[in-house]
Amino acid sequence: MSDSSPRVEEPPAGSPSVENRRAFLKAAALLGGAATAGTAALVDAKRTTIGNEPTGAASVRDLPPLASISIERRSDPLLCMQEALRRALAKPVEERRWLMVIDTRKCVGCHACTIACVAENRLPPGVVYRPVVTEEIGSFPNVALRFTPRPCMHCDEPPCTPVCPVRATWKRPDGIVVVDYYKCIGCGYCVTACPYNARTRDLGEHYTDGTPALQPYEERPSLEYGKLWDRRGHGSPVGNARKCHFCLHRLEEGMLPECVTSCIGRATYFGDAADPDNLVAELAARPNARRLLEEKGTGPRVVYLV
Amino acid sequence: MTPREQQDVPDPGRRALLANGALLGTAFAAQALGAAEGSPSRGRILESDRPDAPYPFGAAENCLYTVCLNCNTGCGIKAKIQDGVLTKIDGNPHNPWTLFPHLPASAAPGDAARVDGSICPKGQAGLQTAYDPYRLRKVLKRAGARGENKWTTIEFSTALREIVAGGRLFAGVPGEETREVEGLRSILALRDGKAAAAMAADVEHLWKEKDATKKQALVEEFKQAHAAHLAALIDPDHPDLGPRNNQFAIVWGRLKGGRGDFIKRFGAACGTTNLHGHTTVCQGSLYFTGKAVSEQYEGGSFGGGQKFYWQADTENARFILFVGANLFEANYGPPNRAVRLTDSIAQGRTRIAVVDPRLSKLASKAWKWLPIKPGEDGALAMAFLRWMIDNERYDRAFLESANPAAAKAAGETTWSNASWLVEIKDGEPGAFARAADHGLAEAQARTAKTSKGEITYDEKFLLVRRGDAFVAFDPNDAQAAVTGDLFVDAALPDGARVKSSLQLVREAACEKTFEDWCAQCGLDPVDVGDVAAELASHGKRAAVDLHRGVAQHTNGFYSVLAWYTVNALLGNYDWQGGMSALKTYGFDGTKGGPFDLSGTPGKLAAFGVSMIRHGVDYAATTLFSGYPARRNWYPLASDVYEEIIPSLGDAYPYPIKALLLYMGAPTYSLPAGHTNIEILRNVAKLPLFIASDILIGPTSLYADYIFPDLSYLERWEFQGSHPSMNLKVEPVRQPVIAPIPESCTVYGEEQPISLESLLLGLAEVLGYAAFGPDGFSPGAPLVKMDDFYLRCVANLAAGAAPDGSASAPAADDAELALFSRARRHLPRTVFDEQRWRRIAGEDLWPKVVHVLNRGGRFQDFSAMEKAAPRLPNPYGKLLCLYQEKTAKQRYSGTGKHYRGHACCVPLADYHGNPLDDLARGADLHLITHKVISATKSRTISNYWLRPLMPENAILINPRDARRLGLQDGDAVKVVSSSNPEGAWPIREGHARPMIGRVQFTETIRPGVVSFALGFGLWATGAEDAVIDGEVVPGDPRRASGVHANAAMWVDPALKNTCLLDPVGGSVSFYDTRIRLERAPAGSLPPLRGRFMRE
Repeated sequence: MSDSSPRVEEPPAGSPSVENRRAFLKAAALLGGAATAGTAALVDAKRTTIGNEPTGAASVRDLPPLASISIERRSDPLLCMQEALRRALAKPVEERRWLMVIDTRKCVGCHACTIACVAENRLPPGVVYRPVVTEEIGSFPNVALRFTPRPCMHCDEPPCTPVCPVRATWKRPDGIVVVDYYKCIGCGYCVTACPYNARTRDLGEHYTDGTPALQPYEERPSLEYGKLWDRRGHGSPVGNARKCHFCLHRLEEGMLPECVTSCIGRATYFGDAADPDNLVAELAARPNARRLLEEKGTGPRVVYLV
Repeated sequence: MTPREQQDVPDPGRRALLANGALLGTAFAAQALGAAEGSPSRGRILESDRPDAPYPFGAAENCLYTVCLNCNTGCGIKAKIQDGVLTKIDGNPHNPWTLFPHLPASAAPGDAARVDGSICPKGQAGLQTAYDPYRLRKVLKRAGARGENKWTTIEFSTALREIVAGGRLFAGVPGEETREVEGLRSILALRDGKAAAAMAADVEHLWKEKDATKKQALVEEFKQAHAAHLAALIDPDHPDLGPRNNQFAIVWGRLKGGRGDFIKRFGAACGTTNLHGHTTVCQGSLYFTGKAVSEQYEGGSFGGGQKFYWQADTENARFILFVGANLFEANYGPPNRAVRLTDSIAQGRTRIAVVDPRLSKLASKAWKWLPIKPGEDGALAMAFLRWMIDNERYDRAFLESANPAAAKAAGETTWSNASWLVEIKDGEPGAFARAADHGLAEAQARTAKTSKGEITYDEKFLLVRRGDAFVAFDPNDAQAAVTGDLFVDAALPDGARVKSSLQLVREAACEKTFEDWCAQCGLDPVDVGDVAAELASHGKRAAVDLHRGVAQHTNGFYSVLAWYTVNALLGNYDWQGGMSALKTYGFDGTKGGPFDLSGTPGKLAAFGVSMIRHGVDYAATTLFSGYPARRNWYPLASDVYEEIIPSLGDAYPYPIKALLLYMGAPTYSLPAGHTNIEILRNVAKLPLFIASDILIGPTSLYADYIFPDLSYLERWEFQGSHPSMNLKVEPVRQPVIAPIPESCTVYGEEQPISLESLLLGLAEVLGYAAFGPDGFSPGAPLVKMDDFYLRCVANLAAGAAPDGSASAPAADDAELALFSRARRHLPRTVFDEQRWRRIAGEDLWPKVVHVLNRGGRFQDFSAMEKAAPRLPNPYGKLLCLYQEKTAKQRYSGTGKHYRGHACCVPLADYHGNPLDDLARGADLHLITHKVISATKSRTISNYWLRPLMPENAILINPRDARRLGLQDGDAVKVVSSSNPEGAWPIREGHARPMIGRVQFTETIRPGVVSFALGFGLWATGAEDAVIDGEVVPGDPRRASGVHANAAMWVDPALKNTCLLDPVGGSVSFYDTRIRLERAPAGSLPPLRGRFMRE
């Protein structure tokens, strides 16, 4: 584990918040895939700066407003957040700091985000960017259900990027950890390195394999990173490591990530934390804000309200 | 648009096809990806050699708006088209289900395209219902025994000819070589409209005659008067069975507006009374209690009740008690109600409590969970009524208002009959006391408009008591306000005993103490008292919201009524935060618009007892032979699904010769559905069985012919709404992808094989006037589905006001162009702009485009603020806490009168006997639940959802499991006294055992086990089929899990259907006791994927 990881201040034992927090961290452990010692050591290597995205003026987007829709206090938070995206994208990429806030009290465990992501990104069997973990706590009749959506944490100190032997993955200035499928050789180091199990390999399967015919929705290319990725003929991203990218290709159009827009409980918030007026900046400062596996020093950019 | 301009459409016909092309199979030709248009850039997001591609889904020309039907919540969806293929579904932001508040009608399509609403995982996976490799493309004809899953493909026109003409249609099937099948032409014997109308009137007259001898004389008169047509009757000695036409039944599972009107038109042309839906398998007793509560006093009696129900206004209530409602996973709730509730709960604005034996996802967000014993919802309601009455926590002003004038004075839009006086005879409450009958008023001759037309009658006035005086009043008086005392038990001056409606409710609630009611429910009285106190502490902004958990018991009707009575005591109907009723815009022309689609030219009046014996009093018919009747009669309910196939199995009241089933899977969906399989497999009981289905489903498997249908993404419908949607809406379902089935030609028009082309084709062969080149009127053709549905949309766009002031806005030129461009991938068989324009009419066309560009019409959200604190679209009528109409009916199982008010009724079989004998030796109570990733029989094809839950499980509390010596994940067989084998009789030689894995969970009440519906399927692509001699292998993923409906009790008195609610018609889903038998090792294939926690 990195020496630079912030120390977790433990509140006095027995206080309710400790119990809460412990339970929450235990939930995180369920998400599987703790890093092995070997790959974890590599995390100490310097954060890679191999990004090849446009920066500065070239990254500023002048997106049209939703001119025919007035956005008011009473508007659906989806509209408010979309409007705030426009402000963020009008700045150069290095001045944006994307942050996701998930209010677990509002999550109804429906998996809409999971499937929205699968559909949007044409994820094959075995590849899921955003699972939702359901846990049962207690015993009858004092029993509870807890739902924890788990996207990529887009860590500020990502354990996954330094281990890449071909520099195919890096953290962008706006905080998003991306993969260049063109460069990725599918070695799987990053998959093992991630303590959140947020990366999976595309094994080239299809959902309609083994049926009378492959269906057309599986044959259309994926639109990730603003390009067309045709998996037919074992093309990328087959064989590659795949992961959540906050729907970068949608952000580029001024549209929110699919896990945000599909959330029927409006539990997921997304925005630019560098903007103090942004809703996510306000929510992340609440006393009930938590991050997963904080003690690992990964600096997750996904915050949970519990 | 010229055909050349249309995008290259994937042509399912081009490839060499599996099984002679009967299935979707290898349907889609690979398409060139094509260079991304106008995007020379290579590094907008990521610099690489791979060129950038524009994001197609932010552009309005790639988005079409329609309505989901992967469950019946019917959320608005945005279908996103990529290279002519639907690859992504999101919520339609114009539609209030998925964005809250939804976009105003003035929102531009370009902006809306960039705003996605939220939609549940099934809704998103719905494109896999359309693009399913097991979809049917050609008509199949049975080539083996029923259920053997052997078929030959057959030309559409040949199939129609065979069905109409009959003959030795299955001579090639062993055992059926000489079987003559009677065709529709012969079955639909009565063709003379005048004779039908005359006979229908005479049957009505016959039913009104109460004297048996005189009734017999009327039968003889009938036979003389209609001698020329007696051959067309089922039985001339029982003319009230109606014409032989009734032996053709049309039955449906999920049917929505538009298609429903189409079927009714066809049925009216056929002259059969047997058009039946599936309501009772969902929550019939919720609907039919709603109907009984909404009966209005008209012309001296009660009529005009609506088959509907109320739900809580989720967005404004400060407290909601959910009983048997699971709205984060099903029950018309997930996107539309979750978005209106979660923030309020998280912020502490709203508290909820949940009554459910299982801790649902909804219950996981509740302040209190009441894990009730299944079947005791009525007892719990009585506990609440007792608590509220004892503690005087009810809305006195609302309840005392006896007529519309009093309601108005009290600031209410609805009123109740709580204070009306009911006459008590022999200790039994019957009709309301009529003032004129007791010398307390003079009768007046009046004419009244009723739901059955204008009538003249004697108004005798009803009575309330006010202090020491009895007050005669007109219940419909909007001028003179009348209020009455709530609790009255008195004698009228002539000595007649009367009680107020609410007094009767109080007496029923006082049959037990509060503590005893709670004990009956298996709940702690402290918890129940806390919840009752909370419910009564928010004025009109609190409500009890019910769903099928309450309704689907043998006592469903009275349990629902008891909870509706609790709501009435809160006085919350029509108030924001209270009980909300359904409201929609009309589209059939009866509520405005240029095209009246409700009539049927050449209509043949249908008459006679229906096969499910609904809407008529058993004792009034010539079949009356004392009590119990052979099977139940349903004077107050309709669409009694569990009676359809079992009744034809018993040939009671008469045999059925041909059945057309649309989008139904009763064998799978019904409790004890295996009884239906046994009947359907027998060609003697049902000689001709035609199904319209998108694949070989768990019931169409038994059909003689299956006609491929369009999935909901390829067709038209008018979805309607749900009560909890406060705004007036009409979402429109329209084709968003090219049809999967092959084309056929009907009336010379090429069109996709579908429900509509099947009915049009039959109408063409049978020569019905209501269809064809002059189907609407001379020169106004009905030859293709769009002839009908574009007229519906035109009516919807035109609005209710004759001056056009309530019409939709008109699309501008840009929107008109967008409309065409966005449909460039649709073939002319489904989208022909010039044709559509012609049908809708030049004036309305821009308004039609506006509606279709938004997926329907939706009232603006500002209506809520304008109406506050009331709901914007009030119910605005009488609520019957006491139901005179119900109380006057006799129960055909016992001959006793139904009770007319809220009460607790024990679980019972058709003869009214308790279920103890059935329960002997069974130690676990079986219930079911829904998960968000499954809708009964139709989502197993949605492969994206499979990893969420590769198979379902039998949920069991570890306390029970330990007692039974079971480990988590053990395979067990579900057995019950009516299915000791624990198996489904799928086909000769193949019984599928009900074996599943147990999953330990603390979320279920000890003593209760549950399983999620939607798994354990047969047919449906789960098993091999043989088509034209070729084996189409099934996909084992689609067979996974267990479906334990066949363990649910068969009614011991009826013997071939499940237990049922004799009043509201509901099936009993939650009253069976079962045993779990350990299954031998190897009974189940290895688990696919992880065993997911539900």
